[in-house]
Amino acid sequence: MMKRNILAAIAMAFVALLLPLAGRASGHEADSQEKSGAVDAQGIIFEHLGDRYGWEVPFNHHKSIPLPVIVWGSDGLHVFSSARVDHGKEYRDGSALFRIAGKDSPYKGKVVEIIDGKEVKPAVDISITKNVCGVFIAVLLVIWSILSVARWHRNQGLKAPRKMTGAIEFVILFIYDGVIKPTLKNKANKFAPYLLTVFFFILVMNLLGLIVIFPGGANLTGNIAVTLVLAIITFLITNIFATKHYWKEIFNPDVPWWLKWPLPIMPIIEIFGVFTKPAALTVRLFANMMGGHMIVIVLTLLIFIFAAMGPVVTGATAVVSIIFSVFMLLIDVLVSFIQAYVFTMLSTLFIALGQEEGHHEDHKKEEDPHAHGLPASTGIEPHA
Amino acid sequence: MELFTPDFGLIFWMFVSFAILFFVLWKWGWPAIMKGVSDRADLIDKGVEYAQNAKQQLDHAREEADKYIADARRQQADMLREADKMKTQIIEEARSAAQTEAKKVMDAAKVSIEQERKQAEQQFRNEVSSFALDIAQKVVRNQMKDEKAQEQLVSSLLDEMEKQN
Repeated sequence: MMKRNILAAIAMAFVALLLPLAGRASGHEADSQEKSGAVDAQGIIFEHLGDRYGWEVPFNHHKSIPLPVIVWGSDGLHVFSSARVDHGKEYRDGSALFRIAGKDSPYKGKVVEIIDGKEVKPAVDISITKNVCGVFIAVLLVIWSILSVARWHRNQGLKAPRKMTGAIEFVILFIYDGVIKPTLKNKANKFAPYLLTVFFFILVMNLLGLIVIFPGGANLTGNIAVTLVLAIITFLITNIFATKHYWKEIFNPDVPWWLKWPLPIMPIIEIFGVFTKPAALTVRLFANMMGGHMIVIVLTLLIFIFAAMGPVVTGATAVVSIIFSVFMLLIDVLVSFIQAYVFTMLSTLFIALGQEEGHHEDHKKEEDPHAHGLPASTGIEPHA
Repeated sequence: MELFTPDFGLIFWMFVSFAILFFVLWKWGWPAIMKGVSDRADLIDKGVEYAQNAKQQLDHAREEADKYIADARRQQADMLREADKMKTQIIEEARSAAQTEAKKVMDAAKVSIEQERKQAEQQFRNEVSSFALDIAQKVVRNQMKDEKAQEQLVSSLLDEMEKQN
């Protein structure tokens, strides 16, 4: 009790101290930014959240791990190291001239070809950027960890799994028995490989994003392209394997006729719903993970923003910022798991919606136990 | 905003990576794990069932053993009781047999004693009568030394015979 009061007092003192300073800081920073090299918070945040050619290393802003740039320029395919176009350098590959577009360009941060002094975006840019490399690392990690469990099962499957094998297997079964099986029932085995793959892929990408240095640090699931691809795959699976009943419910739902004719309100809403599902999946995961990363970066940046206020304020801010960012990172570990879980759960749900057979029999079957006055969820139902 | 515009290169590689990842895990990962897990679950189920059966059998066996032991006890007690009964019966029989035998012996003894006694009595009588005759002879001889006494006796005897007739 005593401890908590002291903590509260300290926190309030800090807030009281920081509030007026914060007001002054922003004004102060704005005009001194250009000349004294003060922190460009927005730039740093977007740089860390975004993608780049080459992978930065800690404590060094001039060197980064070079990654291959692969572009289809005006005269064909060009493959070169990202180190060649680092720090605004121009690189001549054959007859084409490349550089990374500057801050003011519409193609900011991308590799562009310079034709007659003008920046032209290459037709195809499939460079192995930081995020692509991160995705590869995540793929290798997932393959390695799952295949190690599979190998263990092939070699000595009837023993009790221990340590890492046991941990991975626990998570697999947690998803399979907790999400996939109860939702998809007898079709669980058909879709389980995809759903489990998605879960582990997202989980590993989320966790890699939390590691600050090289094998991690790429903001993968906080990138809309990554989540978009995963959502599109779920969307494709949902609709390709969907039953006749699912399509009938979309184009001719079981509603009063005046909702369908002359103005097909319900079908339009249903068709809209088909596309909002993947959109929701994309944005959920992207926004959650990006938000987590952004908060940690902003908390860390606070130290540098307040650096102009003198050593006392900087020190105080550093302590608070670090405490909060450690706390946020710990929360993000939890969020990593939760978001992977939620994505898998929603995917399972969407796929299950596409697997619905006749409405009436299903409902009867499901509601049978409740008819006998059993509690709705005892929590110990055998996984049927 | 750059953050909200998906990058083509990343989408492309993401698709490729995911396809490879999915293929590898679909082919070599999940089936082996799922099979392993269900095999192990079966094994555990079987083990539990076996253990339950074994326990049941053990309980049953113990019950049976208890029953057998109780039976044996009862039989033992029965046998003991019977043996006891037989013992007393045998003793009883032996006793009665001995009694009859003893009686027989005693009876025989009595008969022989009686016979002996009678014989002895007879013998005694004979002896007594012979003694008496001897004595009487001697007495008579003494008394009949003179003629007169002889005559007197004959006459008295004759008198007696006359009286008797």
